[in-house]
Amino acid sequence: MNLDEAIRLRDPAQLPSRRDEDWRWTDLRGLLRTIPEPSSPLGPQAIGVGPFEGLAAESLVVANGSGPETLRVAPGETRTVILRHVSRGDGAHSARLRIEVGGGARLTLLESHEGGGSSLSLLGVDLTLEDGASCERLVLADLDPEAVAVVELDVELSAGGRYAQTVLTTGARRQRFETRLRHPGLRSEARLDGVYILAGRKHADLTSVVRHTGPDGRTDQLTRGFADGQSRAVFQGRITVQEGADGVDARMAHNALILSDRAEVDARPELEIYADDVACAHGATVGALDDDVLFYMRQRGLAETDARALLAVSFLGEVIERIDFAAGAERVRSWLLARIGAGV
Amino acid sequence: MTQMTRPDSTAAMLSLRGLHARVGDREILKGLDLQVPSGEVHAIMGPNGAGKSTLSYVLTGRPGYEVTAGSAELDGVNLLELEPDERAANGLFLSFQYPLEIPGVPALTFIRSALNAQRKARGEAEISAPDFLKRARSCAADLKMDFDMLKRPMNVGFSGGEKKRMEIFQMAMFAPRFMILDETDSGLDIDALKVVSEGVNALRAPDRGMLVITHYQRLLDHIRPDRVHVLADGRIVASGGPELALELERHGYDKYARAA
Amino acid sequence: MPAVKDTLEQVAGLEKYEHGFVTEVEQEFAPRGLDRDTVAFISRKKDEPDWMLAWRLEAFERWSAMESPDWARVSFPPIDYQDATYYAAPKAKDGPASLDDVDPEILKTYEKLGIPLREQEVLAGVTGAPRYAVDAVFDSVSVVTTFKKELAEAGVIFCSMSEAVREHPELVRKYLGSVVPVTDNFFACLNSAVFSDGSFVYVPPGVRCPMELSTYFRINAAGSGQFERTLIIADKGSFVSYLEGCTAPMRDENQLHAAVVELVALEDAEIKYSTVQNWYPGDPETGKGGIYNFVTKRADCRGDRSRVSWTQVETGSAITWKYPSCVLRGRESVGEFYSIAITNGRQQADTGTKMIHLGEGTRSRIISKGISAGRSSNTYRGLVSAHPKARGARNFTQCDSLLIGKSCAAHTVPYIEARNGACTFEHEATTTRLSEDQLFYARQRGLSEEEAVQLLVNGFVREVLQELPMEFAVEAQKLVAISLEGSVG
Ligand SMILES: Nc1ncnc2c1ncn2[C@@H]1O[C@H](COP(=O)(O)OP(=O)(O)OP(=O)(O)O)[C@@H](O)[C@H]1O
Ligand SMILES: [Mg+2]
Repeated sequence: MNLDEAIRLRDPAQLPSRRDEDWRWTDLRGLLRTIPEPSSPLGPQAIGVGPFEGLAAESLVVANGSGPETLRVAPGETRTVILRHVSRGDGAHSARLRIEVGGGARLTLLESHEGGGSSLSLLGVDLTLEDGASCERLVLADLDPEAVAVVELDVELSAGGRYAQTVLTTGARRQRFETRLRHPGLRSEARLDGVYILAGRKHADLTSVVRHTGPDGRTDQLTRGFADGQSRAVFQGRITVQEGADGVDARMAHNALILSDRAEVDARPELEIYADDVACAHGATVGALDDDVLFYMRQRGLAETDARALLAVSFLGEVIERIDFAAGAERVRSWLLARIGAGV
Repeated sequence: MTQMTRPDSTAAMLSLRGLHARVGDREILKGLDLQVPSGEVHAIMGPNGAGKSTLSYVLTGRPGYEVTAGSAELDGVNLLELEPDERAANGLFLSFQYPLEIPGVPALTFIRSALNAQRKARGEAEISAPDFLKRARSCAADLKMDFDMLKRPMNVGFSGGEKKRMEIFQMAMFAPRFMILDETDSGLDIDALKVVSEGVNALRAPDRGMLVITHYQRLLDHIRPDRVHVLADGRIVASGGPELALELERHGYDKYARAA
Repeated sequence: MPAVKDTLEQVAGLEKYEHGFVTEVEQEFAPRGLDRDTVAFISRKKDEPDWMLAWRLEAFERWSAMESPDWARVSFPPIDYQDATYYAAPKAKDGPASLDDVDPEILKTYEKLGIPLREQEVLAGVTGAPRYAVDAVFDSVSVVTTFKKELAEAGVIFCSMSEAVREHPELVRKYLGSVVPVTDNFFACLNSAVFSDGSFVYVPPGVRCPMELSTYFRINAAGSGQFERTLIIADKGSFVSYLEGCTAPMRDENQLHAAVVELVALEDAEIKYSTVQNWYPGDPETGKGGIYNFVTKRADCRGDRSRVSWTQVETGSAITWKYPSCVLRGRESVGEFYSIAITNGRQQADTGTKMIHLGEGTRSRIISKGISAGRSSNTYRGLVSAHPKARGARNFTQCDSLLIGKSCAAHTVPYIEARNGACTFEHEATTTRLSEDQLFYARQRGLSEEEAVQLLVNGFVREVLQELPMEFAVEAQKLVAISLEGSVG
């Protein structure tokens, strides 16, 4: 199984399928009989304006698989960079980007996934943080209902560093964000958050694998979302603590609301622990909006749709509050508000 | 089966006739008649499980409470046809026996949204933020509430008494026309009972009505009812003046249990 | 040299695994290996009707085409299914008619194990102590079932599976394989072909079984596997509580235990099934020997408002691979799973449950307490799913792991699948080690380190122990302590 090869060699047999344990709820092989033709290049007018417009001077665009291949932030530097991943049409494309953040540097990455059409796309990002470096990644993904998209991120965290991400998505026909983080501990920290708002027949899969390889690391994860219509949300989180990685503190929470009888939420929060001096916990809840609370709100005069929206905003708002980059959080909040009507 | 209904019931603000209601398969209200004229405060007392809370939910339209017969009108408007929020916009307020927690929604945000929704439904203009805050501060002061509490998520982690006070705070903010207080006194300490009662009394007016559900005379010492009704087994089985409450306190519900 | 060393270790180990002795009885075996003839041999030995043989043979054909599963987080060398014995029975005259016919050596075995086979002994016990009926299974056959008469008076059928096939074919044909289909999984399929004995329980409508029922499984013969099959049917409105206990001698080679347990609860019926599993875990240092415990246990809550609760204390076996599950089919049916799984030495356990919510208003509750010590590995694997029709389904899961020592592992792998808008699932899991502060506190009050650990561990597993029938809870608590011996310091 190798999605990149499946696209490059146009070999559907390489697509991940439900037989692959980690893809059981995001079956691509069952969905695609053939791999589409390679996507054609996009002209500037097909690219348009992204959702983070105006928040950073610097902007990288990966359009239908072509764009820059590296980004380097010099040691000690502080930078905010927009990364737009734009897909159009019905072809297939993949791209790979290397990001290196030098010692003590800080990168704020404002990433968006736009368009989609009915394409099949893969974006792979390798992110290396040197000692004391930090990165906050905000992702807004709002793809067309027919798109199939996978975004893979490999993070190499170093001592004293920090990696934080918040992925917000409205899903696609099939969509997966997979984050794999190597966590050396040594007073470094990771925060991996997510929000999904799914309606119609959309699907979104937020998967993360955090491997604690050294002592004294912290990981904190909070994912919340709701699934309406006939949508399907998938949350998979695995935290591994290797032998010797003592003093690790890792927490993971996933809370989902199902708003329709035909929607589905699947979750697998995993702990894999080989060290004894740890404090690890996960919690997962799935439920509907609380009818009693809804009635209480309506008794005070709120219309049902407003009551639902208010509950939804506050439910998801707790994830947004954890974003460090204030201007980004503001942008994300209004993005969310604009979409909540559709999702609730 | 004889009911004591007042002759001038046509003038009543809240008018319930032959109300039957059930929850699931179980009939809980079994032909309830009650008239509360404008300007009056009526108390409802009755044994546990008699159907008092059920009555308050039926009037406010809680899902799952099904009216199978009878009518319920507020100022001639058929309540049973309205959505819960429409009833609220019509001025019907329930102080819940068990107020709910709303995680993530600060109390002030919630109350402001609700107040504006009610005003909008009535065709009134939204209240401005400064006006709202001014009113909130003054109501909080009247009820001797810490204003910071209003910034916390609605009722989350509040003590039983704090929740009840929050109910009365909302009542003061909305200034509804008809109020149902379901055991608002339970959980309140002596000082709080006084403060809350003053808040309630402040809302007494000739064009308002009130239904006070309670088990204890001590609340009725503060909020003097015009009439007292006994609800047992889904019906009003006796009605009288304030002295009826005192008699109940002395003799309990034994004789009504048999009558019911 | 190695032989001497092994012997020494065995002797040393004996002190730890107290049920590790071998009983010298004359036994009868099936020829080594597995083919159609073996299956026919077993069936003939049990004097089975043709339909039973046909059922077994079909299972055997299916099994021959299957592959051993590899998804559990356990590792072991491939099992050579041709190098095992599928039937071992103490030589007796056509199955013992009464206790007097049972080989005295076997009776001594159960005596040593503390299992009361003589009804009068049970009666002679402390006055007021609850009585329980026992079905004792020695290798492949049931040697005796106690209190049959008294149970029969209440209408309860409690007998060995072999007897049920002969005496109650209508019930067996109706329910056998109806919960765990023959081809459900590799080991269940193998079991269907070669199952030897086990217990059969039928509780008629409205009857509350007058006493605890229990089966005591003992693997004795070398090189043999045990493939017991248990079937419990609680008819409408009935109640039964059943306990299963297991031990085996210490042997160098691994022995396979592939059981199938099927529970059927009809309308308003309740089954409480408890297991205290203490098969030989293998040598704690070398990992040599021990039981491979690959078990399929499933309950079908077929009737509305039926209820099944699984309680397990798993301390033994080299490898445990089992997921007692509930299919919640009836409206408002309830499934519960309470588990203590302790691994020490080189043990590996991959255990948990599946709660499949099919009916409206079904509820389930999972409390799992895993303790890993030594160089062992302990995995909780669970599935909670609600199907589109299971509106109002609720689950609560609490899954805690405790690590004692630097070289052990604890894993938590829950799968949650919610397929309708009116279900509520709550899952919580924690992994921690024993709190230094609590240990210090206990030691400051004068407890030794070992005692302090025991005390804290008992607190950790208490919630599950409480679910066991009282007379077994004490046993289980001792077992917990014994299993963790040598895990500190
Ligand atoms: N959702 C429900 N399903 C079934 N029965 C219900 C439900 N809600 C209430 N009941 C039953 O209806 C009866 C009336 O309940 P209700 O809460 O109205 O009593 P009450 O008069 O307010 O009692 P209390 O003085 O204890 O508050 C009780 O017997 C109660 O158990
Ligand atoms: Mg009440």
